[in-house]
Amino acid sequence: MCDITAVLTVDLLAQVLDWLHDSRDLKSCRLVSRAFLQAERMHRRAIRALRLGPLPVLLRRYVGSLQSLDLSSCPSLDDSALSLSIPCPNNLRSVSLSRATGVTWRGLEVLASVCPRIEAIDISHCVGFGDREAAAVAKACWLKELRIDKCLNVTDVGLAKVAVGCSRLEKLGIKWCFEISDIGIDLLVKKCLELRELDISYLKVGNESLRSIASLSKLEDLALVGCEYIDDEGLYFLSNGNCSLQSIDISRCENVTSVGLTTLAEGQQRLRKINAGNCSPVLTSTFVSKLCTLGDTLIILKLDKLQLLASALEIVGKNCRNLLEIGLSKCNCVNDEGISWLVEGCTHLSTIDLTCCLLVTDKSLLSIATCCRGVKCLRLESCVLISEKGLDQIASCCTDLKEIDLTDCNVNDNALKCLSRCSELLVLKVGLCSGVSDIGLSFIGTNCSKLLELDLYRCTAITDDGLAAISNGCKRLKKLNLCYCNQISDTGLAHLQLEELSDLELRGMVRITSSGITAMAMGCRSLTQLDLKRCYSIDDAGMWALAQYTENLRQLTISYCTVTGLGLCHILGSLRCLQDVKMVHLSWVSIEGFELALRASCGKLKKVKLLGKLQDVLSSELLQTLQSRGCRIRWVNKPLVFKG
Amino acid sequence: MKQIIGEPGIDLSSDSKMDLKLTRNSESFHKPNSSNHNLNSFNQASQYFPNLSPTNFLSRAENLQQNLKTKSTNSFEPNLNSGMATQNPPLDWDPHAMLSNLSFLEQKIHEVQSLVQSIIDQQAEFSSRPSELATRQQLATADLTCIIIQLISTAGSLLPSIKNTLLSNNPALRQLVNPDFNNNLKCEGLIRNFPETARNSEYEDLLRNLDNEADWMKEPNPPLQSDIVDANPIDEHDLKESDDGDAEREHLPPGSYIVLQLEKEEILAPHTHFCVICGKGFKRDANLRMHMRGHGDEYKTPAALAKPSKEPGSDVHPVTRYSCPFAGCKRNKEHKKFQPLKTILCVKNHYKRSHCDKSYTCSRCHAKKFSVIADLKTHEKHCGRDKWQCSCGTTFSRKDKLFGHVALFQGHTPALPMDEVKASGSGQGNDDMTEDLGGYNGNFASEECLTSMDVKGIDESRAYFSPMNFDGFGALDEFGRGGFDLEDNPFAFIPSGFSQRSGDS
Repeated sequence: MCDITAVLTVDLLAQVLDWLHDSRDLKSCRLVSRAFLQAERMHRRAIRALRLGPLPVLLRRYVGSLQSLDLSSCPSLDDSALSLSIPCPNNLRSVSLSRATGVTWRGLEVLASVCPRIEAIDISHCVGFGDREAAAVAKACWLKELRIDKCLNVTDVGLAKVAVGCSRLEKLGIKWCFEISDIGIDLLVKKCLELRELDISYLKVGNESLRSIASLSKLEDLALVGCEYIDDEGLYFLSNGNCSLQSIDISRCENVTSVGLTTLAEGQQRLRKINAGNCSPVLTSTFVSKLCTLGDTLIILKLDKLQLLASALEIVGKNCRNLLEIGLSKCNCVNDEGISWLVEGCTHLSTIDLTCCLLVTDKSLLSIATCCRGVKCLRLESCVLISEKGLDQIASCCTDLKEIDLTDCNVNDNALKCLSRCSELLVLKVGLCSGVSDIGLSFIGTNCSKLLELDLYRCTAITDDGLAAISNGCKRLKKLNLCYCNQISDTGLAHLQLEELSDLELRGMVRITSSGITAMAMGCRSLTQLDLKRCYSIDDAGMWALAQYTENLRQLTISYCTVTGLGLCHILGSLRCLQDVKMVHLSWVSIEGFELALRASCGKLKKVKLLGKLQDVLSSELLQTLQSRGCRIRWVNKPLVFKG
Repeated sequence: MKQIIGEPGIDLSSDSKMDLKLTRNSESFHKPNSSNHNLNSFNQASQYFPNLSPTNFLSRAENLQQNLKTKSTNSFEPNLNSGMATQNPPLDWDPHAMLSNLSFLEQKIHEVQSLVQSIIDQQAEFSSRPSELATRQQLATADLTCIIIQLISTAGSLLPSIKNTLLSNNPALRQLVNPDFNNNLKCEGLIRNFPETARNSEYEDLLRNLDNEADWMKEPNPPLQSDIVDANPIDEHDLKESDDGDAEREHLPPGSYIVLQLEKEEILAPHTHFCVICGKGFKRDANLRMHMRGHGDEYKTPAALAKPSKEPGSDVHPVTRYSCPFAGCKRNKEHKKFQPLKTILCVKNHYKRSHCDKSYTCSRCHAKKFSVIADLKTHEKHCGRDKWQCSCGTTFSRKDKLFGHVALFQGHTPALPMDEVKASGSGQGNDDMTEDLGGYNGNFASEECLTSMDVKGIDESRAYFSPMNFDGFGALDEFGRGGFDLEDNPFAFIPSGFSQRSGDS
């Protein structure tokens, strides 16, 4: 028997592995032989754990080369589990504990102490985290990258801990840390002089913060989304500061007007990305003319919901010739004339967002098709005036099109037929287009075999045959939305044999039953998110099938299903990755059923949605344990209403 | 009552290194020197020091007022008024003040004239007592220096721009600085020996004082006004700030003041004014006077109720400083680097703070102790509010102050609140749980429930749901589930409709 490693040395294998990105391909590769496994082991730098169980074994195997560890999807992660999971001598550079709500500051302290070379930590969305956790993280003094987004209890003190402890920080995200104020930002700026990227979105900080931030000489990327206390004066500080910004996001800053944007554009001449969407709506021509001084450097410009005249687009088109992405979502004034001037100049555009530009017609599509042949992403949601003629032009000219959003555009099968010529298409959204039927889907299924995401929300004309065409043609689908396609039955669902499908929404499909779910579950074993709300015919049998086959299921919505306590207990107890369950109006489940089911799942759940009435009848001990494990319970008080 | 030469005169002449203190023999104290009083009112800016009567335990503020009052009643009233007049109009110089300056100078010159005349007259007598002659000479020189400097200052008020250069560069001033009088160190009286080095630094200080005075002269709002205004609201708290260690700041040349030392019992006595009839004690003379009204109509007359004013001529007290009776204390006059205390109140506070037990404990923190009740009150005002603490232990009442401190010092960080440390140090989970429960579960988790939840129960429940029962899995199966093992499944008893299960891939 010939040893393949004699031909393919480990070095060569490693080079091959460089080109493999899909986890399935890597898995196949591992399974070839021990030598391949060894090569893969040496090559692997990152691990994303889905469950805690096998993690210690895995980490022991990869400890030498492993640099990045992602535990964000791990259920039932707590301090002891975390400290046991991480091997002591390691080379870990990056650890993600996003949404690891069960971990406390003790676990973080252990992490900081056992990973001496750690450079990146992500504890975003751990909503209970506060200053103590920030202080624990701050003990990792070599940290370059830190995300503490939405750690709601972090105050200036916590930020100061981080600022003093991690003075080498280059990237910091403190989005949604509402307690942080100007004082904290000022100290941060004084201590962390290496900062390159800073995200202070939604903070209640004022212009003083921007005055401090402006002194950061290395700052390149600044996000200020939704900072309601920042106005033009703050932008004035920024434009006169030491920093040489490349990217700024000031979207949703209500008090920023055209004047501030103008001064910013004057002062920061190296800006490459500007997001000024949803600011104060009136945009003066002076700003647009100042934009032109940025000229060739600008590559991304988002002006969502601003009043933009055709003349402004003309100026942009004439000056910003290297623009790659433009966002004009909800700019009511944008019309065909403006679009044609824009695309005549910006021929390199690859992403054009015209969501809700109600005046746009086929003429715009025609000019896009003629000028921007390299366009990859086209968002046309609610552009009701476009038709298959325009899409035909797009399809024939822009052969590289990867993503198109036609939600609510009233397109029909002919449009899909045209679009099916774009064989590179990855994302297709035709939600709310009642004209789309099985015929159109058959074109897509035949030609767009690379499709990853398909949105057929409320395409009520679709039947089992259409679904069959899609399932047979688009084998790589990861995301499929069939909500309220109420003609589809179990037969259609049985066609869904998509190995890579991870996100499936079947909300409101009243005809499907447990047998359909069973057939689907057997075919789609990678499912991580499933929405079965208002699938009234689904009962325990469906739950058992899911429990058995879709073991990676992480989010599940079974509100209004006819499952009983037994089924609920079974699925919550069996699915080991399950973290987020919405189970409102499960009329067939008794209180004991809920109690038992929640106990069965206790360590894992991070989010639960339950009927408000249960709040008083479930045992306090249970709720207490759930919360101590970092589980958030949302109590809803909606009346029980059955909808067809 | 002894009288002393007014400070401005002293300051100015000492500035020229005349060491005027040496001239201050007992004779000069007795010399009726009303002109100096004139100078006093003219140059109120340097009147930092209230002239306390050694027996009068009045506060500084009262004294100040008293001073002013006595002045307004004596013959130099116009001067005071002119001083007041300078405050209001925004003129660079005030002709009234100028006039009064000049008349002062005139007076002074006459004085020196008579002094020199007396030296000539008594030359025969002096030949037998050379030391007395020298003293007279010195006195004359001092007065002359005073006159010269006063002239310069007066001229300086006319020409503000050249004033500074005049003072610092005037060679005449330098020449006046004659160190020959050091021989006369052996003066009788309260004056003691002072180290040579001290004098040099004092010289510097005095020069600065002189400059300050000159500055004041062109100020449209001289400090006199503010002194009057400030004098009223002064209470013990305000005084406290300046009661210890003020001698450094006041630059009083050693020897230019009388040093008094009270005994311990005197310092600690709660009352210093006693009713001669009933014996009741009071802290303030004014209160005693009010009390006296109850003892008869003779105490109700305006004269009896008025502040005891001194006769004109004897109303200027010598500058008095105090010594702490505690041997070895820096405030004790025997100490090598003696720093005198300014007022009786200073003495009291100093003695209590430094040499007495701290008997007042803060009722809030029960940790801080004080010997002066005013200190306790000040502390209690802020106690508990200094919640902003640095890792170095320093506390701040305001967050921005703490953050300024942290920004300034390398490695300092804000400390986390202590209660939080405690809570998280001993079963933080439980604390959090009860708290959350209260929030989430308002109706159900009544107080009995909360209190009845013992830590043990929670720990048990946590253990029950512990994730630590790791399942060991096959080597090749990383993320997928290894197999449907029934022991692991709490609902294994439920018959599964799907007995067979396809492989992983």
